[in-house]
Amino acid sequence: MTIKEKGYSHWDGEFLVRKFPWWPITRYGIRLTFQRKFFRLAFPLSLLPAVFFLGLIYVSERLEDFPFLKGEIVQLLEISPNFFKTYLTQGFMLFIMLMIVIFCGASLISDDLKHNSLQLYFSRPLKKKDYFLGKIAVIVFFLFIITLIPGLVFFIMKLVFSGSLKFFLSYPWLPLSIIGYSLILTGFFSFYTLFLSSLSKNRRLVAILIFGIYYLSEIVYLIFRSEFRSHYVSLVSLRANLQQVGAHIFGQKTPFDISWIFSFLVLLGICVFAGFILKSKVKGVEIVK
Amino acid sequence: MSIEVKDIHFSYGKIKALEEVSLDLPQGAAGLLGPNGAGKSTLIRILLGFLSADEGGGRVLGYDIKDEQTEIRRYVGYMPEDDCFIPGLDAVSFTSYLGELSGMPRQEAMKRAHEVLYYVGLEESRYRNLETYSSGMKQRLKLAQAIVHDPKLIFLDEPTSGLDPQGRNEILELIMDISSKKDIQVLISSHILPDIELTCKYVVILNKGKLAAQGDISELKEIRDLYEMKIKGEAGGFLQKLKALKCKVEETEDGILKVYWPPKQDKQEIFRIAAEEKIQLRHFVKSETSLEDLFAQVVGVD
Repeated sequence: MTIKEKGYSHWDGEFLVRKFPWWPITRYGIRLTFQRKFFRLAFPLSLLPAVFFLGLIYVSERLEDFPFLKGEIVQLLEISPNFFKTYLTQGFMLFIMLMIVIFCGASLISDDLKHNSLQLYFSRPLKKKDYFLGKIAVIVFFLFIITLIPGLVFFIMKLVFSGSLKFFLSYPWLPLSIIGYSLILTGFFSFYTLFLSSLSKNRRLVAILIFGIYYLSEIVYLIFRSEFRSHYVSLVSLRANLQQVGAHIFGQKTPFDISWIFSFLVLLGICVFAGFILKSKVKGVEIVK
Repeated sequence: MSIEVKDIHFSYGKIKALEEVSLDLPQGAAGLLGPNGAGKSTLIRILLGFLSADEGGGRVLGYDIKDEQTEIRRYVGYMPEDDCFIPGLDAVSFTSYLGELSGMPRQEAMKRAHEVLYYVGLEESRYRNLETYSSGMKQRLKLAQAIVHDPKLIFLDEPTSGLDPQGRNEILELIMDISSKKDIQVLISSHILPDIELTCKYVVILNKGKLAAQGDISELKEIRDLYEMKIKGEAGGFLQKLKALKCKVEETEDGILKVYWPPKQDKQEIFRIAAEEKIQLRHFVKSETSLEDLFAQVVGVD
């Protein structure tokens, strides 16, 4: 074995004091996610609903070119805040988001636990918050691509296709709703995913937990609903809570006859609980008592 | 002094891991010795800020271990004991990633990663996925990531554990090169005494969470003379009188008595006691004290 042929030399550069020390974690997290072949193939498919909705916006402004569209279909093509709410809160989109966080988020902390790499991160000039921000930003990056960005693109394209500012003047608050609800969605899914990712060293188990708990809450809700027939039981369903908050943010009638605040508090409670567990689980050193 | 700590106390629940540990480490390579569970890794983790001392404090490279952990970590390299890597990366990406996390600019980190991987002898396999690395290669990689940002001080936690003799020699060779020629201070935690003896001039010995000894290895070895002797006769009274003089006496399997004679004590006493107890001294040699002897003496294990 030949070592030191070239020898060790000192580095004469200067350390950067980064404004966002978590950025390398995010960049590598995104890169590692894209290294998975299946994800590379599947991720573009998650944009199909956005393309479809964009097509609807185009058609809605060119109805005269599509004379065969009549009746209820035309009503569906009415672009209003409800259109945006439908895109962001429909069950299928939430399912896609769930799939994306499984692919990009399940391994974010569990792999670090499995391969003892937390100590590598925390032996660097990083704080716990930098580590979490770096990991959260990976999830945020992928979810924004299918929530915030399409939402804003729809809004802009509606103005472009209509050729007037009438839509903007009618709903000037809509961009804020899109941003706000996208933040709530990504915030919730980020905490939910990282929390579950910190519970196990096995990424497959984490993936099952992410999927299982989400749909278990739905099953429990359905059982309770048939049993108690109360709208309050919707609070046990993650999907129902996300939809309830979404409907309120877009100024639509909420799907359940209870205050959206309850749903928001449930989601917030889950995030706070997840943050608390994450803080205690993620340490530079594993202490075996 | 690059590492100064005073009266460090740390407990894992009810278990006291460190008690009243005070250190002053000079420049150069220093060994942190102790049996398993002595508190070596705990001490390193406190110095790095992974754990916060219950009592006491100190400074590493002039930075306070409680308030300036970020600065300490910027200028310190850490090679952990356990296997640790980031799956999906090759060695270059892994090393440059950790360089970036230390605050190096991206391009500089990448360039430097190639250099240190070459230095530790991984240049041929630097584009291989880390999951395919052998134990020896992982050990080298851990060393590479610890030096990628050109630290002023490196903590090496059991750097030769799990290595075959050749791999061990190669890692030790690198450590000696870094510590002796590159102006980087090294603190090596190990329970493998020959590794410490080979690489370090200064040693700190911990036992059951307490500081058992610290100092220059050569000076520590001279604190007590070691005599090896074979005796004939009833040894009970002889040994008792030796112990009364604060001698530490050990008997080896082949019947040789190892007597650690206290400093400033006249060694003629041994012959006087032997005469009193009617003991024949059949073999009497002043032995060279090894680090192993020193360790056995202060820790009380063979």
